[in-house]
Amino acid sequence: MSEDSIQQRLGLASGTPPLVALKGVSKYFPGVVANEDVDLAVYPGEIHALLGENGAGKSTLMNMLTGIYHMDAGEIIMDGESRRFASPLDAIAAGIGMVHQHFKLVKAFTVAENIHLGWNATPARISRKALEERTMNLADTLGLAVKPGAVVADLSTGEQQRVEILRVLARDAKVLILDEPTAVLTPSEARDLFAALRAFVARGNAVIFISHKLDEVMEISNRVSILRAGRKVATEWTTDCSEKSLAQLMVGREIVFNDMRGDGGARKIGVPMVTLEDVTLSSEYGTVLKNVSLSVRAGEILGIAGVAGNGQRELTYVLSGLVAPSKGTVTLDGEDVGRAGARAFAQKGVGHIPEDRLYAGMAPTLSITDNAVLREYTMPPLSNGPWYAPRRALALACEIAKIAGVMVPDFAMPARNLSGGNQQRLVARREMRIADKVLIAAYPSRGLDVGAINTMMRYFVEMRDRGVAVVLISEELEEVLNLADRIAVMFHGEIMGVVAAQGADIEQIGLMMGGQRQQGQAA
Amino acid sequence: MSYRLQRMPVAAPSVLFAARVLSVILALLTAAVVLALSGKDPVALGGKVLSSTFGSSFGLEDLSLLFSPLLYCGLAVAVGLRIGAWNIGAEGQFNLGAFAATGVALFVPGPTWLLVPLMALTGMAGGALWILIPTLAKAYADVSELITTLLMNFVALLLVYWVATGPWLDPSGMALATTARLSVSVPYVWGIVHWGLPVALMLAIGLAVMFAYTRWGYEVRIGGGNPGAAAYAGMPVQRHVIIVMLMSGAIAGLGGMMEVAGTVGRLQGGISNNYGYLGIMVAVLARAAPLGVIATAFFMAVILNGGIVLQSQGLTTHTVLAVTGLILFYAAIADEVARYRLIPTTGKVTPKGAR
Repeated sequence: MSEDSIQQRLGLASGTPPLVALKGVSKYFPGVVANEDVDLAVYPGEIHALLGENGAGKSTLMNMLTGIYHMDAGEIIMDGESRRFASPLDAIAAGIGMVHQHFKLVKAFTVAENIHLGWNATPARISRKALEERTMNLADTLGLAVKPGAVVADLSTGEQQRVEILRVLARDAKVLILDEPTAVLTPSEARDLFAALRAFVARGNAVIFISHKLDEVMEISNRVSILRAGRKVATEWTTDCSEKSLAQLMVGREIVFNDMRGDGGARKIGVPMVTLEDVTLSSEYGTVLKNVSLSVRAGEILGIAGVAGNGQRELTYVLSGLVAPSKGTVTLDGEDVGRAGARAFAQKGVGHIPEDRLYAGMAPTLSITDNAVLREYTMPPLSNGPWYAPRRALALACEIAKIAGVMVPDFAMPARNLSGGNQQRLVARREMRIADKVLIAAYPSRGLDVGAINTMMRYFVEMRDRGVAVVLISEELEEVLNLADRIAVMFHGEIMGVVAAQGADIEQIGLMMGGQRQQGQAA
Repeated sequence: MSYRLQRMPVAAPSVLFAARVLSVILALLTAAVVLALSGKDPVALGGKVLSSTFGSSFGLEDLSLLFSPLLYCGLAVAVGLRIGAWNIGAEGQFNLGAFAATGVALFVPGPTWLLVPLMALTGMAGGALWILIPTLAKAYADVSELITTLLMNFVALLLVYWVATGPWLDPSGMALATTARLSVSVPYVWGIVHWGLPVALMLAIGLAVMFAYTRWGYEVRIGGGNPGAAAYAGMPVQRHVIIVMLMSGAIAGLGGMMEVAGTVGRLQGGISNNYGYLGIMVAVLARAAPLGVIATAFFMAVILNGGIVLQSQGLTTHTVLAVTGLILFYAAIADEVARYRLIPTTGKVTPKGAR
């Protein structure tokens, strides 16, 4: 790809320099090459996608570009000059802004206040009205509709993201970096975002778009750079690529997406392993589960679909014994266990991959060993009476890390030093070891890349074939449709209906996700 | 060949130890420079401290008497930290332990072999009682123990002042602000060193074993690391918080009992001598490891003893406080510095973390 052709294809005058270029950038962490010798040039008017598996070094690279990390080798070139960003403030001053996956907004403040916070262009004394007017003007010029007077906590995720983007653009960003921006958006919000991004680059700016979702990369980007194991493996014109070729470049092998249900119903589905009967759960925030009746049988995967926050989290709590239902019964393999508690559930063979592993599934400040044995520390050979054997715990941790395919330089290292994907793999393997009867997986693919998701899904199929009842909660409808035998749809803490996944009517599932009860007979 | 600094996620114990030793040397050097500038002879003063601390059995006995309460208070704070609780109230629990044990010694008749264990138990109960309210408030209402344990200190301190100068004042009229000499005392093991010290050392070893080699220790570690994860694994987090915090209070209380019935012999105001607060420093320097507390408490005892010697040489207590502060300061830097490694940039690093 010669330079001229890039400018030509982007419709730029020949000789137009890139807005920003990285040359030979390297960054090393203990025992790990985070980035090595990465070149990346982003031209005016382009949306440049950055693609890579977990731990491929995308975030590290962007953290160097935004002044959060300092590079060990290489340089950043802007306007023909080598630049050093000592802090994020330098990067912002140079016109590089980033919108992180987790928003950095003050929730109790209004939109206008958030936009003007920590900005030296904000007048020292200004009335609320004038501040909101300024915000409105900014929003109009930049083409991002926001409500200046609204409190951020009251906004939807999509609106919050728009505020975050407006805040970055208001500081005259020429290069906007977005880290998995659509992960939190509904499809229509994502469409709005894409339109705003196209308008932004049309003004001679550039966007760096980090994503795992191949279809989005195909849709939005002009060019795409792929990172693997810290190195850049390719930069391609998106139009020359397909989802398949991108996936291949990303993981270095071909990935087969297929219907993992396999033998099409010939498989034997056994007796109900876990059954909820008329379960209601009330919390201080009101009723979060309402008359839920559900049964998961041995050897089947039950998918739970629904927009996040409609009681899925609470359902996993009840299914794993973390909370007792206010009303109704929970039966595990024929035994009433409603009030038995999480430990009893685990001992009876219920594994639980929690939604938020850093707050529930792991103790991030403790060692990897401590985290890996969380489910088995009470069992032999780790435990004998009241005693606990640290050496055997280490041996077990090594074993789990090995099957999980996680390289651990030092098992005494705090678990927070592992990448998100590796944490997830470790937790998943730990839970699968104890899940003899039931495995509850809440959003197991969140934060994982295509390759890792594929591996994870194969685990679930493996468990299912061993006769485990698997509950798979996911916001990716496609994932549920590919994998589950039946799909239950949740809305406002209720089950709207259960349908067979094979030949399921997506339209109907969509309607149930929006709160319509199932029509016709149940599967 | 050029080098660059690289931060490691964990520091090797040997490097950490070396860094700690270096930090102490630097702190003493800094103090020496300041002393020299103010016209004192730091070498002579240092020699005086060392010879009077380690040069005679009297010095060593004095040192042991400082070592023992620092061990109890350091262990008390360290135990609390294990479940993520900052017990700032070891000072108060120490006072309450001394108070409760004195009550037994003054009003319960009986032989020494019965009374000493009984005093130890009441001392522990007193310490535990003094942390009970902060404990319940933390476990059930999520009230920060940092404030509540601290505030309880002043009540305990004033309570001891009051009984020692009022209701329990020595009736013989010989003492102005203490109780009568206790009729029973903790037996001596060596010179004026009583059983308080060996008991504290055994306690440290016992706690180290409990934390490393029992399921309970593992659960406390998880509960301290992330209560959410402990609940997820079905551990009784609340119960662990309560038990561990009461243990913490009981250990400080036992320290108070040993002080009044072993070292001092009478209950008097200010018997805690700031040991409770110094215990926080001891525990933090030991990173809440019970065996580490043995080393840091000993070290702190040397500093305190050195301070007493220095005062006899015409220096103020502030000098000693400044030295302790300097050591903490340098130790904090040393802990961070120990994580860095010099790596030659020409060599390639193998991508271990990459799949």
